[in-house]
Amino acid sequence: MENKGAAGGLLGIVPGLALMVGTFLFANWAEEALKPVDFLGYKQFFSRVLNLNYIIISIVMGVLYRNVIFRGTIPAFLADGFRTTRLFIKTGVIMLGSIYTLGGLAKLGFQAAFLISVFVFGSVVLVMWLGKRLNMDRSLIGVMCAACGVCGVSAAVATSPGVKAKPAEVALAIATILGFGVLTMFISPYLGNLFHFSDYQYGVWVGTGILNSGQVLAACLAFNPLVAPGTAVAYGELWNVMRVIIIPFVVFVITVWYWSGNKDDVEAQNVSLWQILKSKFPIFVLGFVGMTVLSSLGLLGQEGSETSHLLRTLMQWIFGIGMVGLGAYIDFGEIKAAGGKPLIVGLTAGTIKYVLALIMVLTIIPKSAPF
Amino acid sequence: MSILLALDESTQAMDEAVRLSRERGEPLMALFVLDGNWSDYTGHDWLSGSTVRGSYIEYAGQEDVKDSERLTAELRSRAEGIELEVKVVQGVVREELLKEARTGGYGLMVMAHPFWRGTATVRDTAKDLLGKLPCSLFLVNTPVRQI
Repeated sequence: MENKGAAGGLLGIVPGLALMVGTFLFANWAEEALKPVDFLGYKQFFSRVLNLNYIIISIVMGVLYRNVIFRGTIPAFLADGFRTTRLFIKTGVIMLGSIYTLGGLAKLGFQAAFLISVFVFGSVVLVMWLGKRLNMDRSLIGVMCAACGVCGVSAAVATSPGVKAKPAEVALAIATILGFGVLTMFISPYLGNLFHFSDYQYGVWVGTGILNSGQVLAACLAFNPLVAPGTAVAYGELWNVMRVIIIPFVVFVITVWYWSGNKDDVEAQNVSLWQILKSKFPIFVLGFVGMTVLSSLGLLGQEGSETSHLLRTLMQWIFGIGMVGLGAYIDFGEIKAAGGKPLIVGLTAGTIKYVLALIMVLTIIPKSAPF
Repeated sequence: MSILLALDESTQAMDEAVRLSRERGEPLMALFVLDGNWSDYTGHDWLSGSTVRGSYIEYAGQEDVKDSERLTAELRSRAEGIELEVKVVQGVVREELLKEARTGGYGLMVMAHPFWRGTATVRDTAKDLLGKLPCSLFLVNTPVRQI
């Protein structure tokens, strides 16, 4: 790989980043411009019927760049800039910690941890059963268990080395998870409105039911682009963070399961929860909790203060720009290639999880949050 | 002119390339690309740490090296009596194939369809190359693996 040096590296991100920022600004302008427009006999068609906001426009623009304008590959001169997407999203999620209080986090955190655990380990068992029925390779079952159970690509990537999954199969598994994630990302906001979900109910639903972490964030912001306490993103991302925390434990369970079928292999002796926790624990979670602590101590300004307002505006910018990049990473050519048994297992487990989470919210989750 | 084989899991493509090389009396060059696209492909992984991604990319790289050795041995065992060279390069699969085809002066490129190589598995690699190759392209139908 070409070594550009620090200055060259920074300069290299400018074109792509400029396009992402420009697109985000355009999306904001387009939302305002389309808001009063009546269409097909409906008043304010785009905002009221299509629920179109700058987040959805940003994602769609990103998708158009990748799939129509760039024809499947982000050009080299823009690629470095678009790679900052992960940094934007992770920074935004860390900053999001500032909208919770420690008390609220503890209350909702326990509920989230319980529901997430039930759904995660339920999905793992379902995928193991489906995979065995379809005579899938044991290592691929392990990858699909993690991908469908926890949070899609992150969990698949974390699990694959431990279960010796073949890279080509991991690629197919990821394509399946992304396909399902993208579909649910686009339909969830409309279903949420159809069922008149509150932000809390919606956040719990998509945080539990959507397979991939990026798509949970996008679906929450598409439903309600506001970043503040009590909004969809506040609940959905708390669920997301819980899922990410649970990754090392799921990786451990799946790795132990995988090697239990190869007991004579020397690697089977080396599976240790502590080692997996050390290598797979998502460090950014500490930043997220750190922001909550700072907020609880009043060091980030009181509710309604200039500082908290500034932080939330900054988060909306960060997430908005990140959503352009998230859209630009969606390659329909890759998703189209998903197939084989991973597709059957992914679609079945993903749909069951998504629908069960919907039923759970409709039946037992109240409109208002427990704090 | 020589023949370029895009090396992947397909023994059908290997056999066709060897057959064509024998029939035409032309040397065969097999290109195996160590997939350098994982960093981008795992870009969909928004929240896990860089060590997790790094470990995976390292693991995938090691698996690729093992595959390159296994598939080279497989091809050599099928290519007795012909002039064969195997080249291993690293990069984005379709880009490296195109680069080799453009610079190597080949008259024909042989590849499996679908092409089973790392992240290229989830792309229509042949479609990516069509219209850009300076030589003819011979696609060998390879049944999708029952994974």
